[in-house]
Amino acid sequence: MVSTHGDAEVSSQKGSVVSFGRQWVALALLLLTAGCSRPSVPTAEIPSSGEWRTFQGTWSASGTRQTLALETNHRASIFDLTGSLLLAGDQGLGVGFQAQAIGFTDSLTGMQGRCVWTDERGDKIYSELKGEFVATGNHIAGTIRGGTGRYTGITGEYSFEWRFVVESEDGSVSGRAVDLQGRARLGTAAAARPGERSR
Amino acid sequence: MSSATINYRGLLKQVLSFALAFGIWFAPIPGGLTKEAWHLFAIFAAAIFAVILNSFPLLTASLLAVSAAVLTRTVDPGKAFAGFANASVLLVVVAFLVANAVVKSGLGRRISLLVVSVFGRSTLGLGYSIFLTDAMIAPAFPSNTARGGVLYPIILSLAQSSRSKPDDEKTRRMGGYLMFCGMASLSVSSALWLTATSGNPIAVSLAEHYGVKINFGSWIVAASIPILTMIGLLPFILYKLFPPGVTDTPDAPRTARDALRKMGPLTRDEWIVAVAFAFMVTGWVMAGTLNLSLAAVAFAGLGALLATNVLTLEDINLQGGTLVTFIWLAVLFALSSQLNELGFMGYVGGRLTSLLGGMAWPIAYVVLLALYVLMHYMFVSQTAQILALFDVFLGVGVKTGVPAPLMAFALLFASSYFSTITPQGGSQNVIFVGSGYLTQGELYRLGLLTTVFCLLVFLVVGTPWLLFVAR
Repeated sequence: MVSTHGDAEVSSQKGSVVSFGRQWVALALLLLTAGCSRPSVPTAEIPSSGEWRTFQGTWSASGTRQTLALETNHRASIFDLTGSLLLAGDQGLGVGFQAQAIGFTDSLTGMQGRCVWTDERGDKIYSELKGEFVATGNHIAGTIRGGTGRYTGITGEYSFEWRFVVESEDGSVSGRAVDLQGRARLGTAAAARPGERSR
Repeated sequence: MSSATINYRGLLKQVLSFALAFGIWFAPIPGGLTKEAWHLFAIFAAAIFAVILNSFPLLTASLLAVSAAVLTRTVDPGKAFAGFANASVLLVVVAFLVANAVVKSGLGRRISLLVVSVFGRSTLGLGYSIFLTDAMIAPAFPSNTARGGVLYPIILSLAQSSRSKPDDEKTRRMGGYLMFCGMASLSVSSALWLTATSGNPIAVSLAEHYGVKINFGSWIVAASIPILTMIGLLPFILYKLFPPGVTDTPDAPRTARDALRKMGPLTRDEWIVAVAFAFMVTGWVMAGTLNLSLAAVAFAGLGALLATNVLTLEDINLQGGTLVTFIWLAVLFALSSQLNELGFMGYVGGRLTSLLGGMAWPIAYVVLLALYVLMHYMFVSQTAQILALFDVFLGVGVKTGVPAPLMAFALLFASSYFSTITPQGGSQNVIFVGSGYLTQGELYRLGLLTTVFCLLVFLVVGTPWLLFVAR
């Protein structure tokens, strides 16, 4: 196997000069790393207390879904999805979050879920999800119910559409939510801590 | 060069790998990512970097990476070890074990002699025979991993018939050339047919959101010129990049025919292997229609071979290398999946593509395609990258003015041919990697060069063709 072969290769260090090709790849990887590891994008645009800020973006999510088949054309599922929520526009809530959602979805009655957005500092925004069955083309609405750190007391609402939801045979599911649009305003608790608003 | 110098170089490379891990780990976390995603990227990038630099073998780098990820509580143990139960990983392992039955029974030798009797006048001819065979059987196989499981024992037998051994530096290159032909062939044949890999139909359904409707016929028309150009040139390019040592074998076809005559009729074991393989191939081809698990079909075949004593437990015990492959593949598969699940892949894809606003569409098109291909260094599954990035890149391309069909096909084909960029870039690779005919450094070098070659062929030949046929 390659690894044992590789072990022999490493131990004997045949041709110890790193080839041009590998140097090139290593350099590319370093550049990618450098590109990603640039200092955090400032998040000074975090809204001040009482001021509504709009935001829009996309959410690429993957996770698991367990489905229970009920009567004909009726099924229920529980899902757990995590992924990168990227915001654009006036960046009313910063540049993005890792968003995790769990919920129960029924093909006849719709979906109920809870969602947590976590930013690079570990501060969180909590929301409730309601809408149609989790499937391609369906719409979901979220209500922001609070948060931690600089998002303490935040309220707001948002909605999005599943551009696609793909499920594999092992129960893993991937999807991409687009047209994510919403608005939010911070509570007074967060506004009292201006030092936390920007980095 | 003194041994002290060699050790110094090795140590330096290892220190560099750890330095990269710590450097990223302690760098400021970019806005929009969580600490866990960033730290896992530090671990994963350092592991791949270490393997590329040859400071650690894949197994060592994978073990260090997964232990670091779990012990630092970056990834839950259940998720970090999930790759050991993944169906694709299991399929690779079982396909590798089944391949031994083909070789051991003598059926592999018989098939390889048949191939040599037709194509065996030169090593290059054998290379072309692999590409052509794969291209012809590909549309019936919805899984390129399963197709690798069919091709591998034949290629292994071809290498062994040529007296090429992984541990013999003089003869190793012949087997190495054939093995890489197998890997490269699977990557481009998957792009030739809509039905040649499971990721293609998924990507096609995603392209529909941009008004690009693709069916079996329109796919083959679009793929014909660029992909057949790749198939026509790749065996020769690889032949030049990795000279196999043995070049002309004008007497080989006659020798092979003589040997075939001496072999006589099929033996009992050959019959059993042939039937088991026919069963598995049928199962893999019909898997979509009959809703069968590919791995379960392979397990059934392996079970039958053990039950009939074609393979014995001793044979399995001797396959220690399979365990090595199983461990590193399962670990990298799980870590890459977690990197995706934690949002890192989507984040990087989104951020990189957001930088392209205002570019002229031809430039944006080339940059998007190159970025999409290079990002496969971070993926251990082609389908995972399609699900994570295809829609993002296609959307940005269309927004910047790239004709939607052109961008869609460019990304569709790239999603297949980029699989050779790393040994773990597609699970089908791993079967060939496991043969031991190619070193880690050779796999990464050939992988990069092959992928860049395919990218260039697509840009130079495929782009004008698609602008002509896919408007």
